[in-house]
Amino acid sequence: MRLIKQNIERKTGEGSAVLLPEEPEDLWHAYNLIRPNDLLRASAIRKVISESGSGSRSNERVHTTLTIRVTKLDFDPQAAQLHVSGRVAEENKHVKLGSFHTLDLELQRNFTLEKAEGWDSVALDTLKEAVNQDAKVQLWAVIMKEGLANICLVTDHQTILRQKIESNLPRKRAGSTEHEKQMQKFFQTTFDSLLRQLDLANPKPLLLASPAYTATHFQSFIKAQAASGTNKGLRELLPKITVAQSASGHLHSLNEVLSSPAVTAKLSDTKFARETQLVDHFFTLIRKADNRAWYGPRESEKAVEQGAVGKGGGVLLISNGLFRSQEIEVRKRWVKLVDEVKEQGGEVRVLSSMHESGRRLESLGGVAVICTWPIEDLDDGEVEEEDEVHENGEVDEAWHENGDGHGIEGRVEHVEDIDFA
Amino acid sequence: MQRVKNVDFDEDELYDDDDEYGEEAEMYLQEDRANFAALTPVVRAELEEVGLQASDKEIQDALWNYYWDVAKAVTYLKNNRTPKPPQQTFKKQEKPKSKFDEAAERSAKGLDEEVGHVVKIIVESPSDGSEGTPCMLPPRDWFRDVPWTLPPGTQGHLVPAAPVYRPRLLGGSSKLAKAAEERGKKAATTSAEEFTANGASSSLDRPTKPKEPKENKAPSTVDEPKNSPMREKRKPTPPPSSGLAEEMPDLRAEPTDFARTLSARPTPDTLPAAMSLLNLLGSERSEDPFKGPSPDGTVTKAQNRSKGMTKRPLANKTQALKLDSAPTQAAQPKVGSRGLDVPRLWAEEKAKRKPSAAFVVIGHVDHGKSTLMGRLLLDVGAVSQRDIDKCVFGLASSTISQYQKQASEMGKASFALAWVMDTSAEERERGVTFDFAQHHFSTPKADFTILDAPGHRDFVPNMIGGASMADMAVLVVDANQLDSGMKGQTREHILLAKAVGLKKVVVAINKLDAATPPWSQQLFETVQTDIKTLLATSGFADEDIKFIPCSGLAGTNVVNPPKPSSPAAWIPKAHFTLLQALERSIPPPAKPTTTTAAQELLKQPLRMQIIDVFRGSITNPLSIAGRIASGTVQIGDVVTIQPSGEKAAIKALDVSDEPRDYAVAGQICTLHLSEIEAQHLRSGDVVCSSQHPVRVAKSCTVLIEVLEALLPQPVDVHFGRLHVPGWISQLVETVDGEGEQMKRRPRVLEAGQRARVRVGFEEGVPLVVGERVVLRNAGVTAAYGRVE
Repeated sequence: MRLIKQNIERKTGEGSAVLLPEEPEDLWHAYNLIRPNDLLRASAIRKVISESGSGSRSNERVHTTLTIRVTKLDFDPQAAQLHVSGRVAEENKHVKLGSFHTLDLELQRNFTLEKAEGWDSVALDTLKEAVNQDAKVQLWAVIMKEGLANICLVTDHQTILRQKIESNLPRKRAGSTEHEKQMQKFFQTTFDSLLRQLDLANPKPLLLASPAYTATHFQSFIKAQAASGTNKGLRELLPKITVAQSASGHLHSLNEVLSSPAVTAKLSDTKFARETQLVDHFFTLIRKADNRAWYGPRESEKAVEQGAVGKGGGVLLISNGLFRSQEIEVRKRWVKLVDEVKEQGGEVRVLSSMHESGRRLESLGGVAVICTWPIEDLDDGEVEEEDEVHENGEVDEAWHENGDGHGIEGRVEHVEDIDFA
Repeated sequence: MQRVKNVDFDEDELYDDDDEYGEEAEMYLQEDRANFAALTPVVRAELEEVGLQASDKEIQDALWNYYWDVAKAVTYLKNNRTPKPPQQTFKKQEKPKSKFDEAAERSAKGLDEEVGHVVKIIVESPSDGSEGTPCMLPPRDWFRDVPWTLPPGTQGHLVPAAPVYRPRLLGGSSKLAKAAEERGKKAATTSAEEFTANGASSSLDRPTKPKEPKENKAPSTVDEPKNSPMREKRKPTPPPSSGLAEEMPDLRAEPTDFARTLSARPTPDTLPAAMSLLNLLGSERSEDPFKGPSPDGTVTKAQNRSKGMTKRPLANKTQALKLDSAPTQAAQPKVGSRGLDVPRLWAEEKAKRKPSAAFVVIGHVDHGKSTLMGRLLLDVGAVSQRDIDKCVFGLASSTISQYQKQASEMGKASFALAWVMDTSAEERERGVTFDFAQHHFSTPKADFTILDAPGHRDFVPNMIGGASMADMAVLVVDANQLDSGMKGQTREHILLAKAVGLKKVVVAINKLDAATPPWSQQLFETVQTDIKTLLATSGFADEDIKFIPCSGLAGTNVVNPPKPSSPAAWIPKAHFTLLQALERSIPPPAKPTTTTAAQELLKQPLRMQIIDVFRGSITNPLSIAGRIASGTVQIGDVVTIQPSGEKAAIKALDVSDEPRDYAVAGQICTLHLSEIEAQHLRSGDVVCSSQHPVRVAKSCTVLIEVLEALLPQPVDVHFGRLHVPGWISQLVETVDGEGEQMKRRPRVLEAGQRARVRVGFEEGVPLVVGERVVLRNAGVTAAYGRVE
């Protein structure tokens, strides 16, 4: 994303920014930046119906620039499309004030964003991250086991499941080669789907992970294809393939793959690898019953209140899903928490809810802290309050049932739902 | 203006109903009478102006019907009294004017409350004692052909074409009928127009939508365009219904013969247009929707029938198939087998049968599980040269020695025996079992099914699948590599065996021939102690554990006890051979408790998890294998596969590779299916009875024993063969041994705790309460428990 122009007042956070999304990932950033009530100005195509004096109607599609007050965002990670609905805030000759419009933000087209509540620190960080042009890492990963392959694209901020291949493999049995045949078929299907996703002209690293030997076999399968086929691009892909072990062929195993030494050696210092390690560290701490690690909104807030998430190892892990809350108050609450930790000198990590690490965090309520000193019994006296939350949450049975109670959109918007369904 | 006019039309209708039974004036309310008193003179004066006479009664009737609208009443009476048809046309033209008049009149005479009265009556009428819904019917029947009363259902929302019904329209009112006679044919069209319009507006109280377009289709008149929008506006006020309510008592009065003749119910053939339109509009709702069987009922019926039906064609089919492959007599019992009382048959047959059991072979990788099983099969004669010829290599190669030759060519001579179990090229090449293998063998005392599980940690999911089918476990431990196993899969497999509910364990302490010194009794005892401790901590009872020293490769003490001269001579004195131990571990079938429990299990609805979907043979292109968890199944049954919900018919079934007519809970069987596509079947799906299909759930509560610290986090969830991604969404509570709550909403679950957690799944999973579940995370078994 490119920042074309900005006049944001540092102190008050007022002002607007003109941004140019360049690649699909930028729409994800835009999705995290734009909040309900913001003013968004972008080019739009609108069907204008005009009625002539005689009562006959004609409609035409008009290219125009509209400013809307955002009411709803809808992000489709698969297609990388962001639809922003709202009411027109500036009248023009085609569109009346207050009429509804849904803007589809497009790549290579400027949009102007003005924050209703001003640009808070989190929004500014998101903006900085979005316009950061440093080498962006992307890799393809195939997490597989016999009969199941998940082809996904891992970027700095997202893990997008592009294709899931499931096939029914008969078990081995004496005197039958059915299993082998079906296995070859399964590899072929996976390979074909993978090719459709990959851009061979500009190959990105490809990570194959599976329990046991499936990934290795698949690698040899690709090699065989490259050797026999006429597809030259395929040969350039070969050196970019990394094979790793995972405990299962399901998507959430991507976590352990990304944090495994074999992979980190090759993909070191990517944002997701660091995030994964941090979450792993947190999990390790809490497993050891170390009272420095706490999770959950209230616990984290209390810890921060006590100043335990400060200099010298204090880390706040927070999912960006929390900041996407439809309610302004909820967002403010989290922004305040982030600001406080920063003030205390602690480290703040905003994890993408579209990464596996972010998902793990979301299952913990979206926020966790690693304190500088152990705190006892942060969770005392919480039980009653928590109950309500759980009751609300249980309706939806999503990733984390107490999610909506704390204002996480997460699954509620069914955005992340789609790609991992 | 328009509104008033519309009111006028509505009242017109009411007048009609009323007029005929107008004698019931005593039922008028107090206010009504007051109104009559006030308005009658006015009307009379009006009429006298144009030189007409009218009785009080007539005036009152008119007023009543026009809701105290003096102008209308006057117009009506005028029309009624003036015999000439042209009068009608005059009236029409005059209409707009009359509204003005009326308005002026009203204001002049201070009768503004007129309208108020209309409303009042409407409001009051429901509380009228005289009113009753059943009474609504007679007038409807009566005026069946009159479009502007509540039309009966059969007539639907049709405004009938005017010319056809005109005389009968008038039949609704004796007075009008008279007038109509006088008017003659010429006036017909106009009057039709008027009444059609009336009819349309009167039908406002019918809340039916389809009516609207029909009205537009009504004969076009000058008024028509004006009327339609007005109708819309009038909707909120329901005077017609109130009018009807008011006139209830009238309805009971006897109509005159003349009226009866005129208003006789039209014969059905006079209503063809109405009927067809009704049908077009799909107004079947007038019929009693509950008359026939409910949709569900129909489906059930169809299903029930199809159960019987499919059986027959299927029977024929199978019969035909059998005719090809087997003698006719094979088909005969099949037909008879339908509707078998399987539990009874099973009980009868049970006495005659040898006991049977399935055991899973577990243990760490490379501890010699497959080799030991290969040896067992060879020594009991289950793997003979012929068998191998037939099922492994075709006729080209044969026997274990052949394996040996091949194996030694690959530099893995010692793996030859294992190849009986490891049939896939991949497994042989690597010398590691990937997926569990299944083999049957019989001894004089019992029938066995071997489930040879893979030991490698990457294949633990397959091991769980295998273990979930077994009745008992054979734990193979390499006496020389105890430590690797204790850390690795020996421990994990023991836990998993416990997790899937196995109780009996035969521990085969293997590779004693390779120990230093060979067959060291001391080594055996050390290992025995260690494993015993491990098993005891995992919750296995002492009496359920048997220890066997043996060597799979050499074949010592597997089937045949060692020779007295060998260094292993100490074994027979204190220990059984592996085979003996297995035979003794089978739960004795005669025990009354087990029998009743087993009987109970048979009566439950069918549940069978699919372990494998494959192409059985040319005659059976789609087969599934699995262990029946509960219930029974027989040829011809229609079963449901969950979660796809598809139904399939069972064409044939095999138990232990032999065709049978039925199979019962506890047996591992192969079902040959028909009438289903392979895409609806996956390993891990559940076959269940169509009457009681398994519920498919996206989340469940699980009571678990925690082995590794757990947070709300993603986990791999295993239900037997089913292996799905899921996540712990909530730590509900930790509980003590009795299931009593200890702490609500714990922050973290630590190893060794019992807890209740909520588990969610991305996709629907067929779940049975009480089903055993294993949660794994990052390649480690984190917890096991049961679905609640």
